[in-house]
Amino acid sequence: MTIHGVIPILRMGDILLTTVHIELHDAVAEGFQADVLTAIEQRRARGLIVDISGLDVVDSYVARILAETGRMALLMGTQTVLVGMRPEVAATLVRMGYRMEGVYAALDLDEGLALLRRLGRR
Amino acid sequence: MNVEPDAVESLSRREMPIGSEDDVVVVRRAVRALAQKRGFNAFASAALTTATSELTRNVWVHARKGIAILEEVADGGRIGVRVTFEDEGPGIVDLERALAGGFSTARTMGLGLSGSRRLVDAFRIDSAVGRGTTVEIVKWKEP
Amino acid sequence: MPHRHYMTALRLDESEIQTRRSYFELGDDDLARLRTLHGLAEKHTDEFIERFYEHLLRSASTRKFFPDDATIVRVKRAQRQYFLQLFEGRCDREYVQQRVAVGVAHEHVGLAPTWYLGAYRKYLALLQVRLFDDLPAAEAQAAFLSVQKIVFFDMTLALDTYIAAHQETLARHQAALRELSTPVIRVHDGVLLLPLVGAIDSARAQQVMDTVLLRVAEEKAKCIIVDIAGVPVVDTKVADSLVKTTASVRLLGAHTILTGISAQVARTIVHLGVDVSTMHTRARLQEGIELALDLVGKRIAPVRAKRSSGE
Repeated sequence: MTIHGVIPILRMGDILLTTVHIELHDAVAEGFQADVLTAIEQRRARGLIVDISGLDVVDSYVARILAETGRMALLMGTQTVLVGMRPEVAATLVRMGYRMEGVYAALDLDEGLALLRRLGRR
Repeated sequence: MNVEPDAVESLSRREMPIGSEDDVVVVRRAVRALAQKRGFNAFASAALTTATSELTRNVWVHARKGIAILEEVADGGRIGVRVTFEDEGPGIVDLERALAGGFSTARTMGLGLSGSRRLVDAFRIDSAVGRGTTVEIVKWKEP
Repeated sequence: MPHRHYMTALRLDESEIQTRRSYFELGDDDLARLRTLHGLAEKHTDEFIERFYEHLLRSASTRKFFPDDATIVRVKRAQRQYFLQLFEGRCDREYVQQRVAVGVAHEHVGLAPTWYLGAYRKYLALLQVRLFDDLPAAEAQAAFLSVQKIVFFDMTLALDTYIAAHQETLARHQAALRELSTPVIRVHDGVLLLPLVGAIDSARAQQVMDTVLLRVAEEKAKCIIVDIAGVPVVDTKVADSLVKTTASVRLLGAHTILTGISAQVARTIVHLGVDVSTMHTRARLQEGIELALDLVGKRIAPVRAKRSSGE
């Protein structure tokens, strides 16, 4: 079962912004991935910002969903920036041996937008 | 008299069923609550909670049902949390490879076992093909 | 209350008290006998206390715990109470708690077990003489054995508590030292510096990584310079932890610059199989600071001489 529409996706110009504010259990995580990709396809977004400051646990499953979403978005020409990862979440992912490939990271939303602007200029 | 100073004593025990995807969140929330009650710092708490999440998902993905036993433990001066995952699923054929990590079965990244082992202070696994798997993890509170 | 804490830490519940009592063969008959001795003890208390303190004040090692007369008066009063409690013939939780409090107090003032045990020996010697003076030999013998049991029972409680309290003190010191050993300094807007000095074991490596991540998030830093010039040995474990620190800082959206990289460290990092193209490293701290400023869009420029600037 895949649950759609739980995590809202906002549009700011050619950038999509989403805030993951609830614990991503499996059905929600998969719905989130599908929703994001559909939004990119429909709106031709240049960048995607995923704010994960609300997540106090990111296990390898959720990390994989996030990184995969980023790599899928990249195939459609959209750069993904994860913003607001908590220090303990970053430490845990790295200690587990997980590598987040295919996504950028920024401290907060402002930095994320600035990073997307810089990437767009390249 | 404490004849064995290193003996681990259980201070509380709670058994939780694992039988759906939602239990991944339910069990790890309960473990987080225990870690917070015992005053773990954010890093230790995240490590224990994430390892629990991995191992609960392993039970769900591979065995469909099982149990998680949550305990507050003490050995001499230290306080910790121990979580034991038991299932009667297919068991692990190549344990060494599974523990090395990086290989993928079903929907997990293969980091479930190896990753959670790196996050905790003690890790014990017992698996028999056709009979099931038991994984026990302990995280101690920093002094 | 500290002694409550140790009652729990040492798991001194009813069953543990019973176990200890049976191990010391401290029976109800002993407690009853001790009660019959209360009058005798009371009669000699003043003499015991005086001679006991004479003994303590004679040795320089113990004298330092009694800096003035007021202290001596106070401890004598406490000692008198402590001594008479031996003859109340009780061995319940409340009694145990009082003995535990002694261990806590000794650890707190730094009175080592040697002096505590030595002082107790003096008590026993004084007591033995008076028991045999006042009672028929057989009774005195039995009384002395009962006293010995409760005294040993007491001493173990005080020692176990002393050890537990001492371990906690050590752990607190270690934690404080670890904190001191990761001094993260803000050198510029968005730029932090962590100069690492001294040996790094796995506990410290973990502390370094956690502190770096917390401070980067707190300060919203874009860049943290970790200078390892002061770390004598960078083995594969330390190198691995530095690589992990770099990787996790990147997940927050910031950069780590490792400086003070010697030839040996460079070798270790490459042998670990790390993708060095993703790491910012420099041989010297100064170059690291320049790189950090570059990353935040700043630059160190020479100040032009005043005269030439006007032209």
